[in-house]
Amino acid sequence: MKLGKRWLPAHVLVWTYAVLLVVPLYYFLASAFKSNDAIFDRPFAPPTSLGLHNFRTAFESADLGLAIVNSGLVTVFSLALTLLLAVPAAFALARSTGRTAGLIEKVFSLGFLIPTFAALFPTFLLAAATGLFHTRAFMVLFLPATALPLSVVILVQFMRTVPAEMEEAARLDGASTFAVLRHVYAPMCLPGIATVLLLNFLTFWNEYLYSLVIIGPDPAQRTVQVALPTLKSITGTDYGVLTAGTVLTLVPVWLVYTVLQKRMQQALVSGAVKM
Amino acid sequence: MRSSLTRRGLLAAGSGLAAAAAVPALSGCSSLAAADSDPDTLVIHTQLGTTAPGSPTYLAALDRFREENPGLAVKNLINGDDLGQVYETSRLARKEADVVMVNLYDKTLAWTDVDATVDVGGYLDDWGLRDRVLPAALSAWTDDKDRLRAFPYFATNWPVAYNRALLDRAGVGAIPTTGDELIAAARKLRAKGIAPVTVGGNDWTGQKLLAQIIQTFLTQDEARHAYSTGDFGSRGARAGIEYFTTLRDAGVFADKAQGLTSDSMTTQYNTQAAAVQSAMSSALAKIPEDVVRHTEVGGWPVADGAAHEHPTVIRAFTLIGFWISPNGVRKIEHVEKFLRFMYRADTVSRFVTEAGRDMALRTDTVSTGFPLVAAAQRLGSGVSQVLLPDVYVPPSATQPLITATSTSFTRGTSPARVRAALESAYRSA
Repeated sequence: MKLGKRWLPAHVLVWTYAVLLVVPLYYFLASAFKSNDAIFDRPFAPPTSLGLHNFRTAFESADLGLAIVNSGLVTVFSLALTLLLAVPAAFALARSTGRTAGLIEKVFSLGFLIPTFAALFPTFLLAAATGLFHTRAFMVLFLPATALPLSVVILVQFMRTVPAEMEEAARLDGASTFAVLRHVYAPMCLPGIATVLLLNFLTFWNEYLYSLVIIGPDPAQRTVQVALPTLKSITGTDYGVLTAGTVLTLVPVWLVYTVLQKRMQQALVSGAVKM
Repeated sequence: MRSSLTRRGLLAAGSGLAAAAAVPALSGCSSLAAADSDPDTLVIHTQLGTTAPGSPTYLAALDRFREENPGLAVKNLINGDDLGQVYETSRLARKEADVVMVNLYDKTLAWTDVDATVDVGGYLDDWGLRDRVLPAALSAWTDDKDRLRAFPYFATNWPVAYNRALLDRAGVGAIPTTGDELIAAARKLRAKGIAPVTVGGNDWTGQKLLAQIIQTFLTQDEARHAYSTGDFGSRGARAGIEYFTTLRDAGVFADKAQGLTSDSMTTQYNTQAAAVQSAMSSALAKIPEDVVRHTEVGGWPVADGAAHEHPTVIRAFTLIGFWISPNGVRKIEHVEKFLRFMYRADTVSRFVTEAGRDMALRTDTVSTGFPLVAAAQRLGSGVSQVLLPDVYVPPSATQPLITATSTSFTRGTSPARVRAALESAYRSA
């Protein structure tokens, strides 16, 4: 198909956008294989070697393996708890038509108004009072609390798109309320659930401030976002090592993003067929 | 349609999930709680351990300490710049480490006053370690209520590093010792496309260099007064600020110095993009070998009428020290073992020879593998010493002063505005 001249601006914009995304990514990945000298002397030159020395140094000196496991534990359990709470809450709110439900939905939305930093000190006090300070358990309980407003609001909107006739048909077949949620709403809202999972995964995995203060610096417990800054040095950071460490911490993000993107598309397609 | 997931099933799944969530929590809880409260575990909170200068030596020394004390477990908690914040919150929860290894700066200045750490003077005497410490270090770590804040350990020389090869290439015959010579050298370097003096105008390195230049016209007492009170209105302080702005506007500092950080500074110098930097010992120890060969250390050039006879350097004793926390007092016998080990001559020598660190303790060991560190130690009477202002700046003024530093390094900022920025840093604090 031959495109006319009127498509030229669109092509230019698309390619410009692609370059804007690819250039920093290339710089970032290339730097992970370079020394400081090479990074600053020839920032965009390809690395002369693809040796994994920087990756090994980052992995060993900041104990990134254990930190990635810790981040994985905190993230996975927080995500599970978030879904466990958000899906039923959204289901109930989406099906309710009363004023109370509307009020509760607004209360969830109010969660957006709390600035993250403002909650730090009260959260710290809570962690200390509950005896969960310096534990990952507190973060597993705390992160879902911060994620619920957005999760519930997104899921409620998805669940409202489910036609009432679908539930009525299920009820006629003798389905219980939980069965309706399990077999009607959940499958049809998989794109929403995948979206919530993806957004919250990124938030939980990248969380730094609370992990630093609440979980603390113990290498046995600290998350990857707390471990990574220890590669910085006030008297000359090795940016090759730091960048390599950052790449390592991004691998799980990339994997999860890829998997959930596919799931989201599959869910969209299968949802359309069923309907 | 029949649901495969019944109410009971859902509740069971929820309970299972909750229990599963508790697994890492409980294991995490027990591991740290044990370290905090276990009487046979010494918890050390430090900035050494990853890439900070001296980290490999410290970790090796820690292994040796573990070997020598098999019944004592040692837990090493590592943080970078955020150590102060993490320690303070841990202390609020009464879960702080037993020993903290950090410098005397910013937040830590207030720790002894607010009982976040204890006066260690008595322990130093009881353990017979006072004679091991340089008198100047003891003085620097002692507060105005005669409390010794921590066991001094690392010191630093803070000379100026000159890349002789770059100076030669630009036709600069000798290391500049006066402001005029420095300005002339900067012009020649710029003509060859070489940045003259690189400095982190947006962080602590810029703050230190600014303080060093302002002190050109101040005696130590006057400098102490200026940095304690934030009064930069004296004749000497105003002359120092004018000297700084003259150098700045003559192009002595690297372009956009107001936005540079210590990282960019060391990188510019280490990659030979800049010819001069004001560098502490640990930074000198990390200069690559091919740059070390061409580097000479000296002082910061002085101006006519200066209060100092020679180019100036900073010498500080308040780098890393060992602070004892209230939790540490409960395990004082373990802390004593650790401190005695770290103060032992062989351990101290390792830091000098393996890591090129300057020590706040008496030692005859000279660093051979780090010639610039050794050269800085030998500067002696050829340079004049100015104060490191860290100990005198109120903690709440530290960060505002960094902001004021960035303003000061911005070209075209008048001396009056630099002074106002410095003084307002204290007022806003």
